[in-house]
Amino acid sequence: MSSTYLEVRGLKAAYGDIQVLHGIDFSVDEGQIAVILGANGAGKTTTLRALCAMVSTEGSVRLGGEELAGQSTADIVRRGVAHVPQGRGTFPDLSVEENLMAGAFVRTDADVRADIEQWYETFPVLGERRTQTAGSLSGGEQQMLAIARALMLRPSLLLLDEPSLGLAPMITRALFEQLTAINEEAGTTMLVVEQNAALALRVANQAYVLEAGEMALSGPADELAADDNVRRAYLGY
Amino acid sequence: MRGLGVVPAGSRQHRRRQIIGWALFALVVVLIPFLIADTYSPTIFGNRYTVGLGNLSQAIGMMVAILGLNIATGYSGQLSLGHSFFVGSGAYLTAVLVNEFHWSYLSTLGVVVPGLFLFGVLFGLPALRIQGLYLGLLTFAVAAVFPSIIRLDEVKDRTGGSNGLQIESDLVAPSWAPLNTVTEWLHAIPGVGSRVPDGLTSRQEEAVYKYFLLVIVALVCFWLVRNILAGRVGRALVAIRDNPLGAAANGVNLAAYKTLSFGISAAVGGVAGTMLAMHSGFVGPDEFGFAMAILLIVGLIVGGAGTLHGAVVGGLAIRFVPEWSSQTQTLPGTDTALEGPYGTAILGALLIIIIFVLPGGAAQGFRRIKARLMPVAPQPPRG
Amino acid sequence: MVVLASVLGVFDISLDKLSNGELWLAQFFRGLSDGATYASVALALVMIYKSTGFINFAQGSLALLGVYLAYIFSVEQGLPVALAVVCAMVASAVVAAFIERVFIRPFPPDHVLPLVIVTLGLLLIIDSAVGIVWGFRTRSLPSMFPSGAPIEWGIAQLTWRTIGNLGTVFTVVGLLYLLLSRTKVGLAFRAVSSNLESARLVGIRVGPTLGFGWALAAAIGTLGGALVVPDLLLEPSIMLRVLIFSLAAAALGGLDSMVGAVIGGLVVGLARNLLVTFLDLSELALATAVAVILVVLLVRPTGLFGSTRVERV
Ligand SMILES: Nc1ncnc2c1ncn2[C@@H]1O[C@H](COP(=O)(O)OP(=O)(O)OP(=O)(O)O)[C@@H](O)[C@H]1O
Ligand SMILES: [Mg+2]
Repeated sequence: MSSTYLEVRGLKAAYGDIQVLHGIDFSVDEGQIAVILGANGAGKTTTLRALCAMVSTEGSVRLGGEELAGQSTADIVRRGVAHVPQGRGTFPDLSVEENLMAGAFVRTDADVRADIEQWYETFPVLGERRTQTAGSLSGGEQQMLAIARALMLRPSLLLLDEPSLGLAPMITRALFEQLTAINEEAGTTMLVVEQNAALALRVANQAYVLEAGEMALSGPADELAADDNVRRAYLGY
Repeated sequence: MRGLGVVPAGSRQHRRRQIIGWALFALVVVLIPFLIADTYSPTIFGNRYTVGLGNLSQAIGMMVAILGLNIATGYSGQLSLGHSFFVGSGAYLTAVLVNEFHWSYLSTLGVVVPGLFLFGVLFGLPALRIQGLYLGLLTFAVAAVFPSIIRLDEVKDRTGGSNGLQIESDLVAPSWAPLNTVTEWLHAIPGVGSRVPDGLTSRQEEAVYKYFLLVIVALVCFWLVRNILAGRVGRALVAIRDNPLGAAANGVNLAAYKTLSFGISAAVGGVAGTMLAMHSGFVGPDEFGFAMAILLIVGLIVGGAGTLHGAVVGGLAIRFVPEWSSQTQTLPGTDTALEGPYGTAILGALLIIIIFVLPGGAAQGFRRIKARLMPVAPQPPRG
Repeated sequence: MVVLASVLGVFDISLDKLSNGELWLAQFFRGLSDGATYASVALALVMIYKSTGFINFAQGSLALLGVYLAYIFSVEQGLPVALAVVCAMVASAVVAAFIERVFIRPFPPDHVLPLVIVTLGLLLIIDSAVGIVWGFRTRSLPSMFPSGAPIEWGIAQLTWRTIGNLGTVFTVVGLLYLLLSRTKVGLAFRAVSSNLESARLVGIRVGPTLGFGWALAAAIGTLGGALVVPDLLLEPSIMLRVLIFSLAAAALGGLDSMVGAVIGGLVVGLARNLLVTFLDLSELALATAVAVILVVLLVRPTGLFGSTRVERV
């Protein structure tokens, strides 16, 4: 049995006076994929942002036993947390290659170049467009670039906010296969927010359902997939 | 400190407080010129500061200038860094009309107001396409250019070029104005009376008369602007500032209102120019340059953008802060004199401090103090 | 023909002047030389605008401070002028980094209006501080370049100073390009300019990166000031005019394009000198800058090279 890698206790988050997360608890085991489901506005994006200190938060976030609360985003990234934000996750004025280099900004090792080439192999479109600015890519291509950019960190924890946004169904499936492969090969722990609940529940080990800033349900992904309420609300059958 | 106790909005007590407030304000406005006709000059920490009536009159002109800027920038959110241009145009228009056509000061308003309104509208048209910072950039440059336009060879004969224009008209109190009688009455009051001279010299009489003229013009401006802003136009402008897309979706004609706001704003600025010309009897090109444009912004922010009484505080601040700074011959504890550029530096510092600690300006500060001392409960909605 | 004559009449244009090729050439060189200085300050403005989305109205004041320091280092301390200018660049960079840290960073980066107003406050403070410390006496700062002209055609001289100004600006642009495209800090700076949120998410420390931008901009602005001041006299209001021309240059170039700033600067410098000479508009020199800004903003708000990103205000 694997150990808990990310452990969140009593996480609250607010935008100014508007409290969005009201103290949620959840955890992700090392090397596993967890998915967060929830209606629009439930606070999924806010949860991921809270983990990276991109919004004012309270509560405890432990990563591999180390407390992240109170650390700056830059320091959290240096602990190996990569984040693909919802929507525009690229640098539109930078070339594709520079985007990937920016993704490895905190790395000091010599393998950056090799990693870039590796992602060009995984996502051949990016290789073809390496000198083009990211802003000139299509929405789906930009999404791939955003993910590749995040993986350039060689993260120990990857946060993905609706990675399938704007991708064609076939590409989405291929993308999730990629993610599973990366998860298996590199052992990267992943926390995914996804609207395509069926697909997400299939690849995930653990699942959480967020409702209006509270954790409503949690459990192994296959159990939740079988739960009547979840099926009705998120799977549509 | 304990407050006065909560009163419900719109109640008799609340109304009474408001009336008392206004009466006190009126009393101060009427009494001040007599009290400081012989320049009031307190000594603080060994420095002699003056509150001259002339400076106060000039501050009133500045208040109206800030009021004008407030319409374009405070209420409709169009960053104008060049309002001195309108103020200067109004001042020069008045000077030329008085000198060449022998109009009286106040009658020049008949040309200044519509003229500057039109000018403002013309200016507002390009401003429709130019937004935010770009507008700030353009108006900033325009402000810097005003003095060189006045100095142009083509208009030098009219405007006096670099030397400026002495305005050939005196403001003499009409014989029916009971200024001297009032002075004598006040002088007779025990206690306060000792501060009031027992009669006005003709120079003092002129200063007091000018003060009252300027106060009346200013009150009319504030009253008109208040009414305009309280109505449809004001609501539309604020809607445009806070949420342009929403306002457009609700059928507010953005272009028309923005242009209108520039027109009104310029017209009020022009009136301020007339007032400043009245005050000093002289107009010079550099008075209305870029330095004034920034001063007006300082006044707007320090007083409180988007509020009317902010303009009053702002006008006083930009007139008196530099004045008092230059009168500080020895800063307590040191022997530094805060002459010359110190005044501007202090204004700059004030601007930054206000933005940091009180982004709503002095008006916000007053509201907070008032809410503490004289709380008013909002009226419950009637069912 | 009649029309032409009357147009010429209105503007006081003399055909003698117009057909004087040497005069054209002379003004062309002068225009390039002035343009190079506007280009430097415009570059500084663009660096701040690109990374933060607002115009630093105190840019001219920072340059003013730098030029006074260069004066102190060279004339009073006896350093060679070029070395004094480099020291002044470093000093103004330090001041700018400090200002950014204390006055700018506390605001959320997308609150553009308060930030612009803070820069106006800084303008007032720095300009008057220079007046307080150094007084209003005019001084003259020697040029970094030798006097004289290696190439002459009658009155048209290609002076060392013109060559030096142009050379300096192109060198600066070249170095800036290398810095931004080849170094890690350059990558960070461009990433922050492009997408603030993602920049934070890849671990870039945004505050220090923007502080670096301010420092670099101030150094470049100071260099621009040191190029322009030898042609004029040094006094506390000198950089205001330069700032206006540089704003025009930056607007013409598109506000967020560095290449645009340089070309804009050269065009504004040329336009100014040619108009002033041939139309006798010396009082309107500043107005030509305003006209440039107005026309650019109306006809092509993104300038010649600007990107069409949505205005953030
Ligand atoms: N910057 C912000 N300022 C104020 N409120 C915000 C901000 N961002 C999000 N919110 C509010 O927080 C709540 C949660 O938003 P969040 O983006 O986390 O939802 P979500 O679950 O990711 O929704 P979606 O599925 O639509 O992406 C919403 O009610 C939203 O209005
Ligand atoms: Mg979301």
